[in-house]
Amino acid sequence: MLEEILLKVSRIDAFHGTFQALWDVTLTINPGEIVAIVGANGAGKSTLLDTISGLVHPSRGSIEFEEKDISALEPYKIVDLGISQTPEGRRVFPDMTVLENLIVGSYNRRARSLRERNLQRVYQLFPLLKERKAQLAKTLSGGQQQMLAIGRSLMSNPKLMVLDEMSLGLAPLIVDELYKVLREIRQKGITILFVEQNVRRSLLEASKAYIMESGRVVLSGNASALREEERIKKAYFGA
Amino acid sequence: MKATIPRLRAGLIPSIAVIVVLALLPIIGVPRVWFLYTFLFFTYLAMANMWNLLAGYSGLVSLCPAAFVGLGGYTLAVVTWVGLPYYVGIIFGSIVAALFAMLISIPVFRLKGIYFAIGTLVVPEILRFVFLLWKPVGGAIHGRGAGYTVKGVAEISQSQIYWFALAIGIASIFLMRYILRSKLGRGLAAIRDSEGTAASCGVNVFKLKLYSFVIAAFVTGMAGTISYIYQGYIEPASAFSVRWLITIMLATVIGGEGTEEGPIIGTIIVVFMYFILARYAEISLIIQGVILVGIMLLAPQGIMGIIRKTRPYGFLLQWASRC
Amino acid sequence: MTIFDGLATPIVMGILLGGLYAVVALGLSLVFGVVREINIAHGDLVILGSYFGYTAMTVFGIDPILSLLIGMPVLFGIGFAIQKYLLNRAFRISMDAVLIIAFGLSIILENIFLKVWSPMSRGLTTPYALKSLSLGSVRFPLVYLLDFLAAIVVMVLLREFLRRTYLGMAIRAAAQDRKAAHLMGINTDRVYAFTFAISMAIAAIGGVFLGLTFPFTPVSGMPFLIIALGVVVLGGLGSIAGTFVGGIVFGLAQTVGGHFFGLAAQMLVAYTMVLVVLALIPRGIFGR
Repeated sequence: MLEEILLKVSRIDAFHGTFQALWDVTLTINPGEIVAIVGANGAGKSTLLDTISGLVHPSRGSIEFEEKDISALEPYKIVDLGISQTPEGRRVFPDMTVLENLIVGSYNRRARSLRERNLQRVYQLFPLLKERKAQLAKTLSGGQQQMLAIGRSLMSNPKLMVLDEMSLGLAPLIVDELYKVLREIRQKGITILFVEQNVRRSLLEASKAYIMESGRVVLSGNASALREEERIKKAYFGA
Repeated sequence: MKATIPRLRAGLIPSIAVIVVLALLPIIGVPRVWFLYTFLFFTYLAMANMWNLLAGYSGLVSLCPAAFVGLGGYTLAVVTWVGLPYYVGIIFGSIVAALFAMLISIPVFRLKGIYFAIGTLVVPEILRFVFLLWKPVGGAIHGRGAGYTVKGVAEISQSQIYWFALAIGIASIFLMRYILRSKLGRGLAAIRDSEGTAASCGVNVFKLKLYSFVIAAFVTGMAGTISYIYQGYIEPASAFSVRWLITIMLATVIGGEGTEEGPIIGTIIVVFMYFILARYAEISLIIQGVILVGIMLLAPQGIMGIIRKTRPYGFLLQWASRC
Repeated sequence: MTIFDGLATPIVMGILLGGLYAVVALGLSLVFGVVREINIAHGDLVILGSYFGYTAMTVFGIDPILSLLIGMPVLFGIGFAIQKYLLNRAFRISMDAVLIIAFGLSIILENIFLKVWSPMSRGLTTPYALKSLSLGSVRFPLVYLLDFLAAIVVMVLLREFLRRTYLGMAIRAAAQDRKAAHLMGINTDRVYAFTFAISMAIAAIGGVFLGLTFPFTPVSGMPFLIIALGVVVLGGLGSIAGTFVGGIVFGLAQTVGGHFFGLAAQMLVAYTMVLVVLALIPRGIFGR
């Protein structure tokens, strides 16, 4: 039985200048999954996401999306193909309004014609964004900015959504809301890859997980299976 | 420390031999063109070395060398008009340039990166205006604006002027060697690598940059006075002209910014170009501009950068370190 | 009472002149705000616009403002090529490389001007360039008013472009957060090239109006670059409104300074202001 693969990362090394951030990392994502990458600070999670998005190019190995090699592509081409990253720290455009941020999200060719439809989709998922559409992004709270960032990613009509530390600095109640929205997004057929430091929560939400340490994948598999192992890992990661 | 002294001495002997030969050139009697070439070479070399000290080693892309050259030259002119001998002018010119550097360092060093470049760009322009309007001594003899002849230089022989140039050029090379191996040099290397890290390691970034800037101003000013002793006449437009900058920038960049040998190689080439292109006045600058852009795009490390990557250079280094 | 006599004319003229400085500086501001490069060849590129208008006028008999219909696209194309082939590449090398290459460009331009048009001072002396207007006791050249109007038109058009078009939004996005812009599928290299191209088109306009207002020579680029830098730093890099205010401040500094210290000192006053601005406000009033 051939399993369809959406994203295949094979044995990549990646560098930040002279510092090697990723060692022999392999990762597979199938359509419709929610995959988590977990690890402490400095484990290389963000670099992995940046490499997938084309902001960093792997020095070894390959990355294939829908069976197409994307390891040498420029970031904007990768967005064109259907991978959209919600970066760490939200990074909404501060001096643009909520609506303008969302519109910029639909910048790529594929997404432009579907702009209105996607906009309505985003408003339905985040009614708050509709209320505040004329508000400058820098005046939003952390949680609201995160919603905007996710909405912005959705506007690019992605097949794979990648989220970097979505819950960083946010209250648990808001984090719950966001995960709920992620589940809804998944139901619309968008595959999700997210990076978190909170091991416990990630393993609850994901269907599959990869555990990283110092730039390597040390453990991977079905999330529920890993949860059992978690008792061993609890010492490692704390709560 | 002790180990380096014998090594310096070993490398010193061939150097002294070369210097002696160069110094004897005027006495031996060489064609006038060679004379002019070496004169220009040594004065520009001094300036290029100083620009390299700032841009290549201190992270200060200074666009104001013309300010130091012009101030040196004008001080020289004023000194000769006041009746003092020209060699006093050389000393005073350098001091004035250095003092000026100290003065503008206060506002200019607060500017980071690009703003520093802008600030230094404006300075020669302002000086040009100032000297256009201000007549420090007497009245202008000829030419428009505050043009002055440098008095009392007619008696100086070609050989003497030449030896001055030789002196400042050679001195600048030794100065660079010395600085780069000193505490100042190590501090500058740290700053060049990463200013923030250097600062947090206790390096007084401002002080070191100031030292570089003032030293560069002093030597550039001195080379300027020597230039003007040769030229015998100074006026604002050319004294503070951007041509000083383009020449020494080109020399440093062609040779290799941030290397000791770079300015030497670069100045040889640039002065050579000056002679070849002398007939095509405006086009010569266009060509220099094109070369500057070309080098920065294609070989930003300059000739030294290319040489360093070749294997023979590696062998040369090994052999030299064994001497 | 007496020192304020006759101040009305310099003040009005300064404000109107500010319009010219705003247009001249606007391209520089845009490029710095978005691409984060200080294009020290900007002044010379504006003068290129002046010479373009001059050629149109003397060789083809076309009114310089009308010639902008051709001049703007031409300079747009040149600007696009400069950013795409020279400066984008320079960025990957180092920030110093960008500075040095821009400087090289400046030298090349100035000497091309010298070669083609000689050091002689030129002006765009159209019939209306010599007319004056009176407003009560105040008398000023007609071109000053045209400068001001041109500034308003250019600024409004630029603002609308940045707000309403996808490219305009991409430019603003790239200016605010480069990494996020990449993640939106924005090709920043291309956006930068367009930004530079737009700044050149604006420089073309600035050049023509400059030529109508002042005589210019091959080396006029530098003084106007310095003023433009002052305007941009004062008004805040990348801020349209700020550039307008900055332009007016410098226009006033020049005319009022000239009123008190004499015509010869005009530029000196302006230059000193630039240094003052640099020293006191490295971030500008409006900008980041």
